[in-house]
Amino acid sequence: MLRLAKFCLLCSIAGCLASAADSDFTNVIHPVLESCVKCHGGDQPQAGLNLQTREGMLKGGKSGPAIVPGMSQNSLLVKHITGELEPRMPMGGAPLTAQQISVIRAWIDDKAPWPDMSAKGSGGWQSPIPPRTPPVPPGSESNPIDRFLRVYFQSRNVTPAGVVSDAVFARRAYYDVIGLPPTAAELRRFLNDSDSGKRDRLIRTLLDDSPAYAENWISFWNDLLRNDQGVNYAGTRESITDWLRPALQTNMPYDRMVSELVNPEPKSPAEGFLVGVNWRGSVSASQTPFMQAAQNTAQVFLGINLKCASCHDSFINRYRLKDSYGLAAMFSEESNLELVRCDAKTGKFTGPEFLYPELGSVPKDASLAERRAAAARFFTSPQNGRFARTIVNRYWQRLIGRGLVESVDEMDNRPWEEDLLDWLASDFVAHNYDLKHLLAQIMSSRAYQMPSIPGVPDHTAKYVFDGPQVRRLTAEQFADTVSVLTGEWRILQSSEKGVSRAEFSREWQLKSTALTRAMGRPIRDQVFTTRNDEATTLEALELMNGETLEHSLRRGARRLLNELPPAPPNRFDSGVIRKASRQFDIDISGVKQLWLLMEDGGSYDPAQTQAGWINVKLTGPKGTVDLASLPSVVKFVKKNLTIDNKKTPGVMTVALPTTLTYNIDGMGFTRLRGAVGMDDSGRRNDIETAVRFFIFTEQPDRDELVRVTGEPPVPPPTHVKDANGLIDRLFLEAFAREPNAREREIAVEFLLPEGSGGKIQTSGLEDLLWSLLMHPELQYIH
Amino acid sequence: MKDIERELFGGLSRRHFLRSGTAATLAALAGGAPSLAWGAEQVKLKPKADSLILLWMAGGMAQTETWDPKRYTPYRPGLPSSEVLSTFPSIDTVVDNIKLSQGLENMAKVMDRGTLIRSHRVGDLGFILHSRHQFHWHTGYPPPQSVAAPHMGAVIAKTLGPRNPDIPAFIDIGQDLEIGGESDGLKAFHTAGFLGSEYGPFFISDPKDAVASTRPSEYLGSARFESRWKRYKDLVAAGPVGKYGSGYQRESLARSMENAHRLLSSPSAKAFDLSLEPEKSFQRYNTGRFGQGCLMARRLVEAGARFVEVTTEYIPFRFWDTHENGHTRAVGMKQAVDAPISQLILDLEERGLLDRTLVVIASEFGRDMLVEGKPGLTVQNQVKQPAIMTEIKHYGMHRHFTEAGSVLVFGGGFKKGFLYGKTADERPCKIVENPVTIDDLHATIYTALGIAPDTSYVVERRPFYVTNNGKGKPVDALFA
Repeated sequence: MLRLAKFCLLCSIAGCLASAADSDFTNVIHPVLESCVKCHGGDQPQAGLNLQTREGMLKGGKSGPAIVPGMSQNSLLVKHITGELEPRMPMGGAPLTAQQISVIRAWIDDKAPWPDMSAKGSGGWQSPIPPRTPPVPPGSESNPIDRFLRVYFQSRNVTPAGVVSDAVFARRAYYDVIGLPPTAAELRRFLNDSDSGKRDRLIRTLLDDSPAYAENWISFWNDLLRNDQGVNYAGTRESITDWLRPALQTNMPYDRMVSELVNPEPKSPAEGFLVGVNWRGSVSASQTPFMQAAQNTAQVFLGINLKCASCHDSFINRYRLKDSYGLAAMFSEESNLELVRCDAKTGKFTGPEFLYPELGSVPKDASLAERRAAAARFFTSPQNGRFARTIVNRYWQRLIGRGLVESVDEMDNRPWEEDLLDWLASDFVAHNYDLKHLLAQIMSSRAYQMPSIPGVPDHTAKYVFDGPQVRRLTAEQFADTVSVLTGEWRILQSSEKGVSRAEFSREWQLKSTALTRAMGRPIRDQVFTTRNDEATTLEALELMNGETLEHSLRRGARRLLNELPPAPPNRFDSGVIRKASRQFDIDISGVKQLWLLMEDGGSYDPAQTQAGWINVKLTGPKGTVDLASLPSVVKFVKKNLTIDNKKTPGVMTVALPTTLTYNIDGMGFTRLRGAVGMDDSGRRNDIETAVRFFIFTEQPDRDELVRVTGEPPVPPPTHVKDANGLIDRLFLEAFAREPNAREREIAVEFLLPEGSGGKIQTSGLEDLLWSLLMHPELQYIH
Repeated sequence: MKDIERELFGGLSRRHFLRSGTAATLAALAGGAPSLAWGAEQVKLKPKADSLILLWMAGGMAQTETWDPKRYTPYRPGLPSSEVLSTFPSIDTVVDNIKLSQGLENMAKVMDRGTLIRSHRVGDLGFILHSRHQFHWHTGYPPPQSVAAPHMGAVIAKTLGPRNPDIPAFIDIGQDLEIGGESDGLKAFHTAGFLGSEYGPFFISDPKDAVASTRPSEYLGSARFESRWKRYKDLVAAGPVGKYGSGYQRESLARSMENAHRLLSSPSAKAFDLSLEPEKSFQRYNTGRFGQGCLMARRLVEAGARFVEVTTEYIPFRFWDTHENGHTRAVGMKQAVDAPISQLILDLEERGLLDRTLVVIASEFGRDMLVEGKPGLTVQNQVKQPAIMTEIKHYGMHRHFTEAGSVLVFGGGFKKGFLYGKTADERPCKIVENPVTIDDLHATIYTALGIAPDTSYVVERRPFYVTNNGKGKPVDALFA
């Protein structure tokens, strides 16, 4: 009784024996049995013995029952795997290890518990499919959620805590809707507002800020829909951002969102979701695009895990291989799919079939367009209560820290308050699948506004709701908070069709960095429905010593103290060029220095790029001079390139990226003429070169090579000379409160160390910002 | 102030704190998800090695130009490609039945210390994509996968933990992840996947910059780093969090910050500083970044590292990814790896570390001049190789061959001076004896480290095995 015994002991204390036994079966017993069912399974099991089910084991084969529950010593299964009886099993395979045998013995001695693979959850509860609208319990609470919870608390003799202060509420609400903390001014305005309905009003105001709302929630949807801007695995994956962002901005009803994802219009950018993640080459049968589509749609929209059932009948839930292929057949070119079990063809076929046949059927010979349309109908059918419950539960989990059903991807599990889940789902449907309404409904409840409790790492333990859990800021929220505190936003530079643009951006718009990956931004190869809220050492190393944060803080502190010079404008910007050349002709009268930048514009292989500066001439009163003849600290190589199909000699080439600088002070030059270009002769199979050239006449600001247009997401903080004013603002924005006396003292020590003469020290401000950002009060939503 | 403290942390009363257990249990719990499916008993194989150094020949190293030389045909204009199997003569080694390709003279002297597997068979994934094969090799699973598969280094970090708590358990040297077109593919497997980022790689893209990653930044300096740390802790202690105790999330934050701080101030971090290596010794390794990486790997293992990968670096069409001019480039690549790898073996041996350190040299696949992918299957050709060569740049192993590759293993209980597996002497140079798949190779490596090949971790209520479906079988013949 090795592992099992221990498990049972632990779990009887926690009172969750059943689920632990299930988990043991799945993880300990089933893997051992798997080596048996290869032969003793399927339609024609060896010796008539089917070890795939408990019934099959009890019925046994030619020699009698395979197991006698409670008596391993009398069980044929044990006798054959130990070799006590010939032939030793598995026949032709390696004998089982002593460990594996003892686990099987222990399991049989424990009466061979076999988890219920039907839809039934614990206690005989079965997840219903139709929607249900339970009556709202009577009571004075204005939000029906709280009336359901009053009954819940009463039946458990729990006196719930009150609600949090306005400040704590405001911080929660800002992060949960727009992903940013309130600025000091916004927070003060809210705190000073004496209107009793101000919380609901704040929720409404925040939700009405559609761009900001979209920029926060898009990360949640990107995780769910496996969307990552610019991450395309060499062209085999399509971004859906151009569809998703407007969908959120316009608050597209959820049923329509899902319809457009599973039945996209031709050429709609929503198509990327069904395209899935594809790597060049051949793939396993369980990972074809249509099988991915089946897994993803089932998981994301219905909380059903079909991953196991994409290879074989699942042993963790009731879904079968046929279910996965039936759903996949709604998304595949072929409408009749052959079932492939663990990469072996079975000779059995299935046409399109939805997971819940009661919702309708689609003819076997329907076209792909018809099948997709049918899928859209089935997923979003008013009779499919599971559809709304699943998303409502995800939102509850996101806002409260823990779902009404856990895990949020296993909606066959029993909710801790079924009436509440069902009511919330039907209210969501009654409001036309309005996601903002759903947010407002939850956030305006007392449940959301109760004091937070610490999260628990183990979601299998028994749970009683008594307040929202402490939640971690996401990587994107953290990075954006750094920007709110400092006024330093990252800049997204783009160049399309010759038009250069630079805009302030929020973190989600950029590719992941070592910092954001360490903080939990996933590589979206798979669907991610929750993020880990635990801090890790690698992440702490990035925060403590990483370049990304240090760079932001150095700039941020200087910006706050008005020490950051404005970025000089570029005098020439080639835009991203992929071939050929661009000319420039610039007035450089009075210019002292030249900065010639050659930057990577997203080359497949930057190291192989052959590009450079062509025939660059300076003209002054004394005539014309070749730039290449002037002294340069940085080395370049003159090469003959083929540009625009012409041999072009003497191109000043450098490695990508390199900046050439020249001192021309006092030389009297008035014009700089020349061209930039790249070699287009040696373009091979998948080398894609993309280069961007700039010329500056002052030291460029590498964070802002193109003049930024537009406003930052949050108005920049004003420059403050007064340390206390600065400290107040930073604490309000970091923690939604003012510092206490001791904290203020420490903050002042940071900003005005001895000998500073009352002038705020830049380095001290960097360190104070860092300390606030590392603070648990900032990194968590309380 | 008091009110707001209660507001903020009222829910965090003693009641909650007691119910959730002591800080120590919480910390243990927090580190526990995902849990080992089979329980600790499963790992009770007796380890033959405590550390693993993986030397990654990124880009597909041509086996016939390195460890498995075939008939040599010198270049001449007009030479038919079909005649060429190797573009170098073979050389003798200290082991009678092992010949290597010219250019590996230093390795030839240490072949009596290790095992050479000439029959490594990687996956057949169709149209070749390097990052995909590298993903497969490093995780045991070809992408895409329905759960995020962890890198071998993360599996080892999770299962065995660090040997020295001040040295990250999974260190990855030499690969820049921002390499353009295949960046996404590389990022996808340089991760701990579902095991959680605690077990992810500690990156050193250039060994000469490693000190910066393990010391307070130059800009900050040690003194300021320490005073900032002290004030930060004062600040946390002065706030309500410090007064009102904590939950597991905040515990994890405090723990992670302490860990990072300790690492950044630890004397063990000297291992990352190559300037502390005697000049003579440094020069023995110094063939460039890869050579320096080998030296760093030795220093790290001496200091107690668990898993270190050093790569020649994958950048499309560079290094071992010889799409043209293969012969000339193989000369350069062999120069880059021959001295440092052999020196690493000798140094580990001299320090008495080779017995407990496993050194594995591998690549995502082999190469051939004509066969693309797996012989007999039609895989789209990516490289134009003329039937008749007219220029020296045509001379080399330019196509990707997945049917056979070579792997070298030193130390860690493997046989010495041992040759395993055989490939055909005529094209296609397929495996003709004792194929070793990725699953079995991994099972052998894991077994040497004391990790059972069917060790699994639970994700989404199902077991995820460290070798593909737990099916990897160790090749016992390789162990001494």
